[in-house]
Amino acid sequence: MDATAQTTRILFEQFSPWAINLFYAFGYAAIACFLYGCYVQVRKYRRGQPDASWGQLAARFGDMARTMLTHRTLKRRDHAAGAAHAMIFFSFIALFVGTATITLEVDILKPLFGITFWKGGFYLLFSLVLDLAGLGLIGGLLYMMYRRKWMALPKLDYTRPDRQPGDPDYDRSAYRREDWAFLWTLILIGITGYVLEASRLVWLSGDAGVWDSRFWSPVGALLAHSLMGLGLDASGAGTLRGGLWWFHGLLALSFIALIPFTKVKHIFTASASLMFRDPLAGRRLPKVPETQEAAGYEAITDLTWKNLLHLDACTKCGRCHEACPARTVGTPLSPRDVILSLREFANHALSASSLPDKAELSIHGKGPGQVFMETLWSCRTCLACVEICPVAVEHVPIIVQMRRKLVEEGEMEPILQKTLQTIHKTGNSFGESKRKRGAWTKGLPFPVKDARKEPVETLWFVGDYAAFDPRNQKVTQAFARLLHTAGEDFGLLLDGELNAGNDVRRVGEEGLYEHLASSNIATLEGCEFKRIVTTDPHSFNTIRNEYPEFADPALRGLFQIEHYSTVLLKLIQSGRLTLKKRLSHRVTFHDPCHLGRFNKGYDAPRELLALIGCTLVEMPRNRDNSFCCGAGGGRIWIPDPVGMEKPAQNRMKEAAGLPDIDVFVVACPKDLTMFEDALKTTPGCEGRFVVRELIELIAECVEAADPAPAAPAEAPALA
Amino acid sequence: MKILVAVKQVAALDEDFEIRADGLDVDEDFLLFDLNEWDDYSLEEAMKIKEASNGDVEVVVVSIGPERVDESLRKCLAKGADRALRVWDDAIEGSDSSVMARLLAAVVRKEAPDMVFAGVQSSDHAFAATGIGLAGELGWPHAAVVNALDYAPGARQATLKRELEGGVSQSVTLQCPAVLTIQLGINTPRYASLRGIKQANAKPIDVLGLDDLGVPATTVGVDASLSRVRRMYIPPKGRAQMIEGSPDQQAARLVEIIREFKGA
Repeated sequence: MDATAQTTRILFEQFSPWAINLFYAFGYAAIACFLYGCYVQVRKYRRGQPDASWGQLAARFGDMARTMLTHRTLKRRDHAAGAAHAMIFFSFIALFVGTATITLEVDILKPLFGITFWKGGFYLLFSLVLDLAGLGLIGGLLYMMYRRKWMALPKLDYTRPDRQPGDPDYDRSAYRREDWAFLWTLILIGITGYVLEASRLVWLSGDAGVWDSRFWSPVGALLAHSLMGLGLDASGAGTLRGGLWWFHGLLALSFIALIPFTKVKHIFTASASLMFRDPLAGRRLPKVPETQEAAGYEAITDLTWKNLLHLDACTKCGRCHEACPARTVGTPLSPRDVILSLREFANHALSASSLPDKAELSIHGKGPGQVFMETLWSCRTCLACVEICPVAVEHVPIIVQMRRKLVEEGEMEPILQKTLQTIHKTGNSFGESKRKRGAWTKGLPFPVKDARKEPVETLWFVGDYAAFDPRNQKVTQAFARLLHTAGEDFGLLLDGELNAGNDVRRVGEEGLYEHLASSNIATLEGCEFKRIVTTDPHSFNTIRNEYPEFADPALRGLFQIEHYSTVLLKLIQSGRLTLKKRLSHRVTFHDPCHLGRFNKGYDAPRELLALIGCTLVEMPRNRDNSFCCGAGGGRIWIPDPVGMEKPAQNRMKEAAGLPDIDVFVVACPKDLTMFEDALKTTPGCEGRFVVRELIELIAECVEAADPAPAAPAEAPALA
Repeated sequence: MKILVAVKQVAALDEDFEIRADGLDVDEDFLLFDLNEWDDYSLEEAMKIKEASNGDVEVVVVSIGPERVDESLRKCLAKGADRALRVWDDAIEGSDSSVMARLLAAVVRKEAPDMVFAGVQSSDHAFAATGIGLAGELGWPHAAVVNALDYAPGARQATLKRELEGGVSQSVTLQCPAVLTIQLGINTPRYASLRGIKQANAKPIDVLGLDDLGVPATTVGVDASLSRVRRMYIPPKGRAQMIEGSPDQQAARLVEIIREFKGA
């Protein structure tokens, strides 16, 4: 039918030319305002330092598009919010593409080439899709409103743990108002869109070309019927449509104009932030360039453009606020607030046409937008915030950069200063003589090779806690016995080993880290070995992810390092270690930050637990959501405030909430120290279960007496 | 306006050390060297004066010792000292604090500072003599064990507190230039970051020999010293003993020991 083929919507129907011109004037003004806002934002980013993240743009773009299309990061730990966002997101895209299609025909193709395509079947399908998209938009927005108003989610409470009531930036009610303004604006655009459509249908109900195809806009048609039922006639609908048209149009144009100035800009900043995500953020901290005199961030202009972009990407979703162990126990740190503070600071200081004086750019201090020293020192660099951020904000590298400045200034706990000096002097955090690093081997019934003197298959980097802490030495000895039993050819660096530096670097003592890393690298380069093994996830992380940057490029292959969990798993699976006994414990497992979140080593420890017969009962916070023991980022060297719950105690309570657990299994020397201590000091937990290292459980199974009565107790060592 | 801070690199014993073959000192292989703890405080005191001034105060650190001492001097430079001097000649080996005082006096004459700080004592040899000996060589006013100082750069006088035995403090005013030996706790020493220490590599450490100071070789070394080490040794173990056994047995043994000790 020819009539259907010509079906379309007449734009500006019955508008006088001056009204159309007026609308175009508003449109251009909105676009100008939008472009100016973009310019101001880009100028702000360009006031940051350079960053080398421009490589592999196509791959980065693909990664970003995948993340956005799947909404993977938004659905994590809050599926409903992610789903509602997806409804808004995809509806918004549909509506935007729809509007852009009309512009394409009316403002470009038709005037220039005389081409029209927005008609007939395409037009009808277009009407249907956009009509449904409006429904998605409004539905998603309604859920978001419900969530804000009635769910009372703690993560959406913007009050700050590091400020007092009465401080100018304590409650951040402006953010709440902005959130509501955003939701209301969008939902009003959606609702007025429908009413507009319905009133147009009623107004033109006499025109068969319009009226007969009304159910291609089902929501609009139903609304039109309702309005007619309420007594709206064609002329009344015409009047309603006239007023509503301007309201809807101006609201939508204002929305576009305000994008760069409001949270709406996350449409662009969050996408860009995802695009420039660093997969190693926090796992590999930024090097200080050799030519750069001062280390760390002092002024807002010391941040890179990428940092500044990340600040703008934050949508205050509160996932990091919820995950942060320091915030959970009540220290004055919320990763969200560090990001928001710096963002407020950047918007204030870097948005003007000229830069303020250097003195006004310092981000350290007690003023609005500045970050407290106590806040920075509360961080355990556990990466819970970076890992969960749906828009790839990288909090920890910024915090460490700011700490570097504090270290340069000596703004830290005296006890931390002492520890750093001790590490510099003795090479370990225990202040022990270098000669004593191998003392734990004296308790072994076999000699251990010095990897500096003879070639070995496996070079074992022991780490400070495993080497010097008396409780951990027992675990270290057990691992040595396991390697020996399996016939593994292994050796140590003995007094040639220094603290690996992982935590020194996370404290922000970059100079000391450079010293430790380069000394260890030089020692490693002088040894002959096939792979490195460690029982310490902290050493594991820095050797695996950070040492290669400090080594001769030709020797980067040297840093093939494995955590003991994968080593033992292979030894058992290949039959080189025999389990002579199975344990029937009900256990829970604590993922060490540096093994799990940092390096995705979630599975090997769990497989080992299954192999030795343990029943694993997961804690509510497990794997990527594992809750830091509180020792990371150098906090093991700084006593936690008295009278405040420690993160490890919080974790003990979580484990105590599981039914009938026998053993709380850890796979990190620092975890063993932290949790054995916390178990004793957490009311109601002692006696409920014990803390054991996974190595100890495996050794118990491997070293059990042979079932055959005549067999010797100890398995004979392989050569 | 110049403040001279005399510092020393001291030795700490490593685990399981051995005495040198000549029996006069610990084998250097078993020593860990670091800046004397007191010197952290005297340097900090000088830095505080420098930072409170309008920038015309120069802080110069001086030490006597072989090349390894440069590491400690760099730490001082990292903390903000302007220059460092190191005095050395092999002939100085074995000198006692009287010779050190003589050498430092020569440095003071050369540098002409307005104030000289030293630590109360060094943590390894603990003579507490070098600073005061230096004042004696120079014939300058001096105060030992200073735990509070009120001194404006270039002032003719300084007012200070000295820590005496038994919790008594003495408040003293003395004429400048003067030599003060600084006590622990007078301030909070700053942290020298490793990057700071590395960057201090760029600052100069001037090495001065005996000729530079106009000190004849005959006036330094063991022979020119007022004291010499005869022997260094580990004294025989004390009489502490662990009492084993059940609480009853331990108590009985303890009573026995007390009786023995009283000669009952």
